Amino acid sequence: MTREELDSLAAEFRYVVTDAICRSGVGHIGGVMSLVEIVITLYYRIMKVKPDDPNWPERDRLVLSKGHAGPVVYTTLAYKGFFPKEWLTTINKNGTRLPSHMDQILTPGVEITAGSLGQGLSCACGLALAAKRDGKTHRVFCIIGDGESDEGQIWEAALFAAHNRLDNLIVICDYNKMQIDGRTDEIIDLEPLVDKWRAFGWATSEMDGHDWDAIYDTIQRADAVTGQPAMIIAHTVKGKGNRETEGLVDCHNVKIPDETTYQRLMCGLECKFDLPY
Amino acid sequence: MGSYHEIEMRVVYAQTLSELIERNADVFCLEADLGKADASIPVVSKSHPRNFINCGVQEANMIGVGAGLAREGKIPFCSTFTAFATRRCYDQITISVAYANNNVKIVGTSPGITQGPNGGTHMCFQDLAIMRAMPNMHVYSPADANELRAVMFFMAESKQPTYMQLVRLKMPKLFEDGCLFDPNQAIRLHDGRDVTLVATGFMTSFALDVARRLEKEKITVDLLHYPSVKPFDVKTLVDSAQKTGAVVVVENQNIVGGLGSAVCEVLGEHHPVRAKRLGIPDQFGEVADQDYLFNKHGFGPEHIAQACRELSRSKSQQL
Repeated sequence: MTREELDSLAAEFRYVVTDAICRSGVGHIGGVMSLVEIVITLYYRIMKVKPDDPNWPERDRLVLSKGHAGPVVYTTLAYKGFFPKEWLTTINKNGTRLPSHMDQILTPGVEITAGSLGQGLSCACGLALAAKRDGKTHRVFCIIGDGESDEGQIWEAALFAAHNRLDNLIVICDYNKMQIDGRTDEIIDLEPLVDKWRAFGWATSEMDGHDWDAIYDTIQRADAVTGQPAMIIAHTVKGKGNRETEGLVDCHNVKIPDETTYQRLMCGLECKFDLPY
Repeated sequence: MGSYHEIEMRVVYAQTLSELIERNADVFCLEADLGKADASIPVVSKSHPRNFINCGVQEANMIGVGAGLAREGKIPFCSTFTAFATRRCYDQITISVAYANNNVKIVGTSPGITQGPNGGTHMCFQDLAIMRAMPNMHVYSPADANELRAVMFFMAESKQPTYMQLVRLKMPKLFEDGCLFDPNQAIRLHDGRDVTLVATGFMTSFALDVARRLEKEKITVDLLHYPSVKPFDVKTLVDSAQKTGAVVVVENQNIVGGLGSAVCEVLGEHHPVRAKRLGIPDQFGEVADQDYLFNKHGFGPEHIAQACRELSRSKSQQL
């Protein structure tokens, strides 16, 4: 895909996912928007998947440990053909198969249920360990949040993955530097974050989480690492791509109570698209 | 090979796990730095290193790793002391195992007062209660070595997220080698008409001794052993309560929420009769031996016998 095609796809995803979240009246727009380029790069340029066979044994796995960003993965899975795009209109609605947080039972293509923060990375370690013990070559990707990194379980998993040399595990930290109650350096400071992961025995790198080439190249380098798991600290912007949310702490979980709020949010996006449903 | 009852239950656990791995390479043994205490070190770790994972002192991570392994079709048995296997990582079990319906087997060792010298920090009296309150979760408590093996064979075959209590000590023989386990079926260990006595796990052998002893007093005890606390066999209890009209239940747990509560819920909804719950009366544990704790909390053999006498007598007075 060309850079222009990728830019267009990202803009369309932001438009569609914002509309889809708005239909339920509330949603985690901030952490969804910060991951658009990363999730597109994984599913369109890096991961081996078969939309018509979600449990294809040789597929690469993605665990979204920050499960509240589910809608960005749902949008990607719908566009890849894992399920009809019409499902996106049901996000967070009664009886939906696309709940606010990731659910491996309900949604084709979702590997691991996540939402209670810190747990997905441990599960990703289990997926990676199973592949190692079975001599399989597929990769396990996992996205964690920066706020999520306050959880002790993240650091349990960090020790475990390094000890077991899970070099088939590539973790991306969505470092938008904001959590629900404020900036991460005000609530619980993570710095020096890169040094921490290096000290835990991970091959650690940084990237601009909205730069197509940086994302692709950094993940490819992480994939080439042997003998240790890889951590990529992705510098991102919460609420990216919408003038109404970009860089605002309060965009973590946005309420859309009325048409006026909806129109304001949709107008804050860079481009307009025809909705696919 | 000698009888399994001549060795500690923890060794039976480890040997049986090795046997299961030999039958099915997808069975895994996970520990959280208590592998020696559980006897999986060296029994499983030496014979099946591919299937042995020591997570270190990381109970929460162990549950998550188990969930990930289960998602890939493995059958992980995750073992540590009951307190750490359940209450310490309750949310991890709730979400990564039960809610996601990942086929993880959680084994809580040294339940209740069998924790002994480790005292109040390690004595968990609420694991049956909190685990049976979790949707999708089965809860078992085998009473002897042969039943432990039957339960483990069942667990390795089933796709059901499961919690099992494991007494690490030697236990008196109650069942024959090769016995079968059905989670939907309670087992009548003693037939009687005067009072129903319900027990599980560690307490069942004590209850059987009491039932036999009370024969001499012309009190016949209908003793029901529940190797599965959840699912709970309603019919066997209700049939027995209809016959005897009074129920005593004893458990190595807090009387709030565990087997006693399960029994009272069933009786209340299906056949209300007088019931007496014996166990820990809503208190924490302490460093003490079995007899001291039986006497302090009133759920040893003498207390069970006395409760059976009282309930069978009060019933005859009502008549």
